[in-house]
Amino acid sequence: MDAVRLMKELRVNYEQEVDFLPREAGLDLIVSAQQSGGQITARSRDVTVEDLWSLTSFFGYSTQSFVQAVSLLDRFLAMMRVQPKHLSCVSLSCLHLAARVTEEECDLTPADELIRIGQCRFTASDLGRMEKIVTEKLRFKSKAVTALTFLQLYHQITLTHATYRKETLSLEKLEAQLKACLCRIAFSKAKPSVLALALLRQEMKSLQSEDMLEISFHIQRHLKIPDAELQLWSEWVARRLSDYASPKCSKPNHRKLQWIVSRRTAQNLHSHRSVPELPTIPEGCWDESESEDSGEDVMSSGDESLCSSLGSDAEGPFFPLHLRRQYLAA
Amino acid sequence: MSAVSASEKVDGFTRKSMRKAQKQRKSQGSSQFRTQSAPIELSPLPQLKDAPSTDQQELFCQKLQQCCTLFDFLDSVGDLKSKEVKRAALNELVDYLSTNRGVLVENAYPEITNMISTNIFRALPPSDNPDFDPEEDEPTLEAAWPHIQLVYEFLLRFLENPDFQPSIAKRYIDQKFVLQLLELFDSEDPRERDFLKTILHRIYGKFLGLRAFIRKQINNIFLKFIYETEHFNGVAELLEILGSIINGFALPLKAEHKQFLMKVLIPLHTAKALSLFHAQLAYCVVQFLEKDPTLTEPVIRGLLKFWPKTCSQKEVMFLGEIEEILDVIEPSQFKKIQEPLFKQIAKCVSNPHFQVAERALYFWNNEYILSLIEENIDKILPIMFSSLYKISKEHWNQTIVALIYNVLKTLMEMNCPLFDELTASYKAQKQREMMKEQERDELWRKLEELQVSRASEVQNNSHGSPAALNNNNSNNNNNNETLESSSDVEDTAVIMEDLHQDATDIACESVSCAK
Repeated sequence: MDAVRLMKELRVNYEQEVDFLPREAGLDLIVSAQQSGGQITARSRDVTVEDLWSLTSFFGYSTQSFVQAVSLLDRFLAMMRVQPKHLSCVSLSCLHLAARVTEEECDLTPADELIRIGQCRFTASDLGRMEKIVTEKLRFKSKAVTALTFLQLYHQITLTHATYRKETLSLEKLEAQLKACLCRIAFSKAKPSVLALALLRQEMKSLQSEDMLEISFHIQRHLKIPDAELQLWSEWVARRLSDYASPKCSKPNHRKLQWIVSRRTAQNLHSHRSVPELPTIPEGCWDESESEDSGEDVMSSGDESLCSSLGSDAEGPFFPLHLRRQYLAA
Repeated sequence: MSAVSASEKVDGFTRKSMRKAQKQRKSQGSSQFRTQSAPIELSPLPQLKDAPSTDQQELFCQKLQQCCTLFDFLDSVGDLKSKEVKRAALNELVDYLSTNRGVLVENAYPEITNMISTNIFRALPPSDNPDFDPEEDEPTLEAAWPHIQLVYEFLLRFLENPDFQPSIAKRYIDQKFVLQLLELFDSEDPRERDFLKTILHRIYGKFLGLRAFIRKQINNIFLKFIYETEHFNGVAELLEILGSIINGFALPLKAEHKQFLMKVLIPLHTAKALSLFHAQLAYCVVQFLEKDPTLTEPVIRGLLKFWPKTCSQKEVMFLGEIEEILDVIEPSQFKKIQEPLFKQIAKCVSNPHFQVAERALYFWNNEYILSLIEENIDKILPIMFSSLYKISKEHWNQTIVALIYNVLKTLMEMNCPLFDELTASYKAQKQREMMKEQERDELWRKLEELQVSRASEVQNNSHGSPAALNNNNSNNNNNNETLESSSDVEDTAVIMEDLHQDATDIACESVSCAK
C-alpha cells in the first residue's frame, strides 16, 4: 500500500472514530462508582476486561477480537446501567459478537465452551439474549474503528517511509501494549487515533529513533492532533506501561477460579496426610544418660550404646563387632 | 473331589483354577504339632485369680508352659477341647499381666519369652496363591489366629508393662529374637503385621543396644526387596516404624541415615507394588527433608531419575509426593531444583492420561507452591508455557482444558509482559512451522508437475523434437492447469502411476474430483 493511499485511509478512519467513542458521562459514572454501591466500578470493569484478554489468549483469538470486544463493552456500559451480576454475561457476549465478525468460522469457540471455561453461571441461551440486546442497543453492524485500526495504519505508514526498520518496530509489541492500556478504563476516554499515536511515539522513543519520531510528527500534523492532547495521553501511556512492566507481581486472583477435578483424583488428594499412629522414638546420643523409662544401666550398656552410634561414626552400619571391641580397647 | 462337568473343561482338561478351588487346604503335617506321638490333651489349670498369692507365680509359669503346646488349626475338627483350654489360658495370662503389678520377676522372663517364641516363631507357609498380587487378591489369613493373636497381645502387654526391665529382658530379647520377628513381617495376614509393627516399635524404643542391628536388618530386607525378590509383605509396616524413628533423629543427621535415604528409600520408589506402601514411604522422605533441608536437591533429583515412564498410577503417586515435598521446601532449595522439576511437570501436564495431567495441574491450587512459582516466574514460565499452550488446544479431556485455563490465567497474572513475550514467540514459531509445512507442500506440488510434464513429454517425444522437453519444463504451470481439462488426463494418470506412487495418489484424487 503506498503512502498516499494509507494517508487517505487514515483520514477516513479519523473522521469515523468519533462514532465509536463511548459516552463520556457514562464512563465517568463508572469511574466514580463506589465499591459498595451495587454498581459496576472501574475495578470490576478492569477485571472483566482482563478476563476477556485471558479468554482471547486461551482460545487463540486475534487481538482484533479483543479490541472489538472491549469497544463494544465500554460503549454498552457507558450507555446502559448494568447490574454487577450481569457484567460477566455482557462481557462474554461482547467477545462472542466480536469473534464472530473477526475470526474464521472454524476458529470460533461455541458459546457453551466459552461459558464453561469462563466459569460463568449463566446459560448459552442467556448469552444469546444478551448478544441480541447489545447488538440492538449499539446498532452493531460491523467492526468499530479502534485504536488498533490506527495502530496498524501507523505501523504501515512508518514502514513505507523507513523499510529498514521492519524488524525493530514490532506490531505485536505495540498490540500487547495497547492491550495493557485497554485493561484500564481511563484509556476508554481517549480518542483511538490519539491513543495509538501516543503508543507509537512511546515505542519509537524507547527505540531512540529520531527518523521514526519524525514520521510520527508527520502523522500528527496530517490529522491535526493538538499537542496538549497528545502530551496528556503520552504521559498516561508511559505510566501505565511502566506499571505493566514492573517486576512487582500482582497477587493472582486464584481464589476466584474453580478447580474442578475428576472424582478419582479428588479421592486421591490429601489421602496421604494421615497422622502417623506410632509415637516418635527420639534418637539418643551415646553418652546421653539413659532415660528413666527405658531403665538401662549406663555402665553395663557401654557396649550396646556404643554399637548404636559407632556404626554411624564409622560411616556405615556394617561395622564388624571385633573391630568395635578394638576401638573400645584403644 | 466332586466331579467336574464337561462344560467346565477346556480341551478335555479341567481348568487350573477349578482344580485349585476344589483342592482342600490340607495340613502339611508339620513336626510342630507332634502328630507322631499321641495327641496332647490339655487339662485346665486352676484360675490365677482364685489362687493364693504365694502360688500365683508358680501357676503363672505352669500356664506359660502349657501354652507352649501347638495345635494344628488347619485340622478344623481335631483337639477342639484342648485348643479351647489353651485359648482360655492365653486370655487369662493377658488379663493377669495387664491388671497386676509385680508379675515380672526375674525368672518369669525366660518362661515368657520361651512361650512367645514357641508360638509365633515359625516358618511362614508358602502362599496358597503363587501369583499373589497384594493389590488385587485377598490375603491368606493365619489359620491359628485365635491363639496367635493372644500371644501377640501378651507380648505387647509384656513390653509395655510398667515393671518391664530391658536390662533383664535383653538377655532373651536379643538379636536372634529380633531377626525372627523381622522375618514374620512377610506374613500375608495384615492383623499379624499390625501387631508386629507395634511390637517392633516398642522394642526399638526400649532396647537401645538393638537399634543399630534393627536398622541394619531392615536395610537388608529393603535392599533384598528392591534388587532381588520384589516380594515382601511387610514393607508398609516397616516404613511406618521408620517414620517414627526418622522423626526422632538428632541433628545434625548422621551419615548412616543420609545413606539410608539415598540408597534405600529413594530406590524403593521403583518397586512395582509401590501403591501398597507409598503413603508411608512419602512420609519418611518428607520427614527427612524436614530434618535436613539440604537433602532436598539429591532427593528430588533421585525421584526425577526414577520417574515412572510407563505406569500412570505410579506417576500420580510421584506427583502427590512431589507436592508434599514442595509443601515443606525452603525457597533457597526450591531454586536449585526448579528447572529440572518443572521440565518434568510440563511433561506430566501434557500427558494424555487425564489423571496424571489433572494431578500436575492441581499444583497450581496450592498457595505455597504458587508463591514459590511467583518468586521464580521468570525461570518457570518459559518452561511451562509451550506445553500448556499446546495442550490447551489439543487435550481430549474437557476438565483438563478448564484446569489449563486456570493455570494459564494464574501464570499470566504473575507476569504479564513475560507472558505476552512468550505468546508472541510461540505464535511466531507456529507461523514458521506452518510456513515450512506450506513450503513442503509446495515442493511436492512442483515435483508432481515436473512428473506430469515429464510424462507428457515422454508421450510427445514419440512424435516430437527434443526441444519440446525444454518447453514442457518451462511451462510447468500451464501444463498443470491444462491437465485438469485435458483429454489426455487419463493417459498421463496411468503413466504417473508407474512413476511415483505418492504423487499419483494425489493426482488420481484430483482427477477423480474433476470427473
